[in-house]
Amino acid sequence: MFLPLRYPLANLAARRTRTALTVGVVALVVVATTLFSGLVSSLKETLVSTGHPRNLIVLRKGSTNDGSSSLPLEAFQALRYFEGVAREGGEPLASPELVVQPFFRTASGGRENVLVRGVEPVALRVHDEVELVEGRMFAPSSGEAIVGSGASGRYVGAQVGDVLEFGRGRWRVVGRFDAGGSSFESEVWVDARELANDAKRPVPYSGVRLRVADGADRDALARRIDADSRWALEAKPETEYYAKQAESANVFYLIVIGLAVLAGVGAAFGATNTLYAAVQARRAEIGTLRALGFPRIAILTSFLVEALAVALLGFALGAAIAAVLGRVVSQALGGIGFGAATFTTNVIQLRVGPSDLVLALGLALAIGLVGGFFPASRAARLRPVEALRKA
Amino acid sequence: MKFLPLIWSNLVRNKLRTALTSAAIALAVALVCLLLTMPGGLDRILNEIASNNRLVVLNKAGLVYPLPYSYLQKVRAMDGVVAAASWTWFGGVFREEKGVEFPNFAVEPDPIGVVWEDWGIAPEQLEAFRRYRDAAIVGRGTLDKQGWKIGDRIALKGTVYPVDLEFQIVGEIPDAQAPHLWFQREYLDQALRAAGRGGLETLGTIWVRVDDPDEVAPLLARIDAAFRNSEAETASETEKSYFANFFGALEGFVTVILIVTGLVALCIVFIAANTASMAVRERMGEIAVLKALGFSRRLVFATLFAEATLLSTLGGMLGAFAALGITAFLRQGVAGWSPALGPLGSFVVTNTILVQGLFLAFFVGMLSGVVPSFGAARRPVAETLREVF
Repeated sequence: MFLPLRYPLANLAARRTRTALTVGVVALVVVATTLFSGLVSSLKETLVSTGHPRNLIVLRKGSTNDGSSSLPLEAFQALRYFEGVAREGGEPLASPELVVQPFFRTASGGRENVLVRGVEPVALRVHDEVELVEGRMFAPSSGEAIVGSGASGRYVGAQVGDVLEFGRGRWRVVGRFDAGGSSFESEVWVDARELANDAKRPVPYSGVRLRVADGADRDALARRIDADSRWALEAKPETEYYAKQAESANVFYLIVIGLAVLAGVGAAFGATNTLYAAVQARRAEIGTLRALGFPRIAILTSFLVEALAVALLGFALGAAIAAVLGRVVSQALGGIGFGAATFTTNVIQLRVGPSDLVLALGLALAIGLVGGFFPASRAARLRPVEALRKA
Repeated sequence: MKFLPLIWSNLVRNKLRTALTSAAIALAVALVCLLLTMPGGLDRILNEIASNNRLVVLNKAGLVYPLPYSYLQKVRAMDGVVAAASWTWFGGVFREEKGVEFPNFAVEPDPIGVVWEDWGIAPEQLEAFRRYRDAAIVGRGTLDKQGWKIGDRIALKGTVYPVDLEFQIVGEIPDAQAPHLWFQREYLDQALRAAGRGGLETLGTIWVRVDDPDEVAPLLARIDAAFRNSEAETASETEKSYFANFFGALEGFVTVILIVTGLVALCIVFIAANTASMAVRERMGEIAVLKALGFSRRLVFATLFAEATLLSTLGGMLGAFAALGITAFLRQGVAGWSPALGPLGSFVVTNTILVQGLFLAFFVGMLSGVVPSFGAARRPVAETLREVF
């Protein structure tokens, strides 16, 4: 025999201020956790979603990122004709790339290192997640640039039609591209040779990205490149390269978990207090219910339902606030910049995703359960005679 | 003061509630202190370590664009320059799978003791750094984190240059947070020549010490003017502005942290207010009795208000201590110079942060106590007593 659901809910409504304060505590914890977790998972997602599983990145052996690598022209020529490299219309899908990280000015007057990638037209076919959404591709040797959507919103002169100043030169922005939310969207792409001239780089390329032919063994190709004794090169799957960079975000996850646990325990204490007071105030009622024949389990569940209802209300309120707040903050800041280990800035849009909400929901339920359990079991243990006598 | 026993016995009458409330406030205050250490680490670099009398010369195009090595001599020759040294990013990794765990630079051994005199490196260590070609000076932060000590030999694998270098640690930068590893520029130069790569002809940044504050602005202008229209134009600035720019990208992240901190602080207000209102509500009857006995409204208000403030402050003190303990623990593990966190990962609860945490708890206590205490004090005695009895 259980108490009707209306009973705990009506109790919540009866003590409005107290319910509101407890809901508020849970909601605040949910907002704090969701916002932070949203930030970290956006960062991680940006990096993890970068790269194609059938692409290899070839760098000088020992280089950890393409900013610090360099590759002789002959090595690139040889790589194009390795067995297992995909071809399209007879042309190998091998994209030689030069990476430099010049200063860009942010709208707020700061300066950041932005990854500028010097590429050739084949780059768009090797990185087929990159898609022009405005304007057109740059024309070679004409001082033009295309800009990722993240970079476009953050830096001065990075809109299509603007003139962008970086390095030694001035570049006309002729196109803007999306790349499925990946970190390419924080980059600027220009003609590789022009960039090498501008950066006065004697060696034209930092590295090469290869698309592996369908049916070819990606890892076997990587091993063949590693083993080639003419150049000290190292080939890695592109996805692995970016996943490695995403590892630097792991330390943020520890912070998120620490935040969630500390704030969650605090909120659970608060909820416990409220419910103990509720139990105390309702001794006579509980005694009556028990006397009427409701079993202990009914009292226990009723109080637990009350606690969980508070937690769920708090979650709903908090999640709604977090979603709005996240968007507002992200928009106000023009994306959130993250200086990565490679000295380049990733522009993150703070998005509160399903995984962040699931985390917050779990936290809210835990707060409800833990906060509700002890008062609920005290209520269930009340002896009807005593409860009624004292009242 | 004579009412302190009354306030105290009110606090301990519901021990469980008092314990839970102060623990909840303690956790939240600890969290606020922990979160504040992140922007605090940044502030420390900008306000305590960075100096306005040290200038940085870098390539106008960007940090990763090198400058010709000859620029160092030209800068040294300028009026007002007390000493100048260069940094060249080596990007060495100690454990390959971990990536670059601490910044490591090739420097000139002679001027560093003068340029960074304020860092207090021991003279005999500077002497050893000059004497041994493979010597390295390492920041206390990195020494602690890696478990190294002076006299150890370590090897770094080059990521920017295709050479691996072995060093003996001969000295330390005493600051507990300092992450840097410095080694002799000539050592890298020779290793590159030995590897058939030619010598090291570029540098990353030039650091200049200036003693006369009035010289700073003109010197910055003179340096940039000297290299205008050359192969590599420079952008010079004070160390303070350099770091402010360098960490400017963290601004958005810091904003989010501050918002989260604010939310947690607000949480404390709610928890404390809830407890205060529960305490007052349950005691309606006895408050009415006190007033009937002749306690003034003001006195009733003061005792209730003091109770809420005391409870919250106690929680705050507990939280501040917890924050100290947690950060001490964190510093053993994840803290130090991390490429992802930068200066945000110092996890040092400074006195300022402690004071902020305590004041937060104190004010929250007062804030949470005002409304319920005022309500209780104002309520007419007769009405309450009629309801209760």
